[in-house]
Amino acid sequence: MAGRSSSEREALARQNAAIMAVFERAGFDHIAPDIIQPADIFLERSGEDIRARTFVFNDPDGNELCLRPDLTVPACRYHLSHAKNPASEARYCYLGHAFRFPGERLSPQEFTQAGLEWFGGSDPIAEEARILKLATSALDVAGLTQYAVKIGDLGLFGSLLDDMSMPERWRRRLRHQFWRPQAFHDLLTTFSNPNTKRRTGISAHVDLLDNHAPLAAAEAALRQNNLTLVGNRTLDDIAARLAEKFADRSEAPLSADMVATIDHYLSIKGKLSETAAQLRALSATPNFTTAVDVFEARIAALEDQGLNPRRFHFDANFGRDLEYYTGFVFQIEANAGNHMVSLAGGGRYDDLLSDLGAPMRVPAVGCAIHAERVKAVLAW
Amino acid sequence: MVTLGIPSKGRLMDATAELFAKAGHAITRSSTERGYRGTLHNLAGIEVAFLSASEIASNLKSGKIDLGVTGEDLLRETIAPTDGTVEVLARFGFGPANVVVAVPQCWLDVATMADLDDVAEQFYRSNGQRIRVATKYRNLTRRFFADKGVAGYRIVESAGATEGAPAAGTAELIVDITTTGTTLAANQLKVLDDGLVLESTAVLAGRTDTKANPSVMHLVQALQKTL
Repeated sequence: MAGRSSSEREALARQNAAIMAVFERAGFDHIAPDIIQPADIFLERSGEDIRARTFVFNDPDGNELCLRPDLTVPACRYHLSHAKNPASEARYCYLGHAFRFPGERLSPQEFTQAGLEWFGGSDPIAEEARILKLATSALDVAGLTQYAVKIGDLGLFGSLLDDMSMPERWRRRLRHQFWRPQAFHDLLTTFSNPNTKRRTGISAHVDLLDNHAPLAAAEAALRQNNLTLVGNRTLDDIAARLAEKFADRSEAPLSADMVATIDHYLSIKGKLSETAAQLRALSATPNFTTAVDVFEARIAALEDQGLNPRRFHFDANFGRDLEYYTGFVFQIEANAGNHMVSLAGGGRYDDLLSDLGAPMRVPAVGCAIHAERVKAVLAW
Repeated sequence: MVTLGIPSKGRLMDATAELFAKAGHAITRSSTERGYRGTLHNLAGIEVAFLSASEIASNLKSGKIDLGVTGEDLLRETIAPTDGTVEVLARFGFGPANVVVAVPQCWLDVATMADLDDVAEQFYRSNGQRIRVATKYRNLTRRFFADKGVAGYRIVESAGATEGAPAAGTAELIVDITTTGTTLAANQLKVLDDGLVLESTAVLAGRTDTKANPSVMHLVQALQKTL
């Protein structure tokens, strides 16, 4: 449409002003993070998949810059450059454009995000409930009455794995692949079934570790084949990984019970208020029990905020495609004709600020509302 | 009138000219327009445009030409198989080459894409940087890596001499086209066991909306008889 008419512009501005008033009244400081960002921060954090959707360009000096694909990272950078102590508590809200190459429906190249970030808080459960409450309040003032709330909790899966006895590197691999369901499933099959281990191009090098120390074997292999060490990995790294592969051969496979527990966990979904009992029944191991305690306390905190957890939907798989979240995640969806669109999403991401340069881990929870989608859904 | 794009020079041009002649539709450059246009012998309704090899796929995508002879690698790099606007009408079999994922031979512990994903994750943990892939096939690489579940990497655009990037230290691995593998071996690189991105040959590709055109159908049949 090549732009908005004055009446469309005014209607969107009115809606967004109402949303921001909710956030500001709740005590969030209304900031304006930079639109142009160093590309590295986004690309190193998310890899090539986000880059495929990000507008990246070079400045005259050859530095890679980008138009922000979302406002969470820019808000984090704002915080790191303004706060004397990155771990000190700060609550921000923002309204601004984000830019992405289109992918989904109702997803234009530039769109407006209205969002909240709560850094350095000391009462995680209450803060999570508060953020979700503010997101629904914002949709309420925009005039939206019909929507569905999906809830996930990545802490549950992490603690379930923590309680299972397996080599630490297997746990790390499973956690890493959790985001890619197919690869995760393949890995689980490999770890639980020693007979499926097939030989690949590295097996011959692993064989040698029967009678040789890993580093010596790797050095000998390079010397024999006249190979130069290139590719920015040390010979120690390479030898250590060969040693892991060698050790894998004699590890006890994951038991059928463990696999069944993981599969069962991933199949749990339903009304939020009813899934707590299912989680409780799944496993009574210590870390997982603590995670379920947190899960239940959060449900109570949502009720304290005047929200109704019976109307929310839990899915153990939800959040698997959102890589930087570390715990609680949510998404608010509404019907736009014959399909559901996501209007708002958020959650906890306790690793992001330290990834971006904070010297310590800083608790963080936030959300963002896709303003144009809200407007579009209201027009249905 | 349907426009057929053909590479204006090089081996692909020569092989294409030979094939079309064998099929009874020899290509003639027109003496006017400085030789950038041409005709097919005994086939009205198709006009030939001589273009640089790199332009043919993008001109097909934009609709500036309706048919084109080009390498499948360039076609698929420019137009996703799921796009639906352009189809391969005939595979010529000449110019065979594979687009592959290749890593340094000194990576004794890496043979599969799964290994690569594992190493990419460790690399990020120990260096704070994503592993870099040098390639001119940005889109093919993204599609293939996504399909194999490899996420934590960065593409470094490479216009030429991609195979030298790991030795030069500008990337850790490459995605590149290879015919015999000699260049890869000379640079101490190895192809991953499941690292075949695309088996490429020269193809005749056409916009989906022109494949029912009688002249196009006639040309495709005549070419296929000679293959």
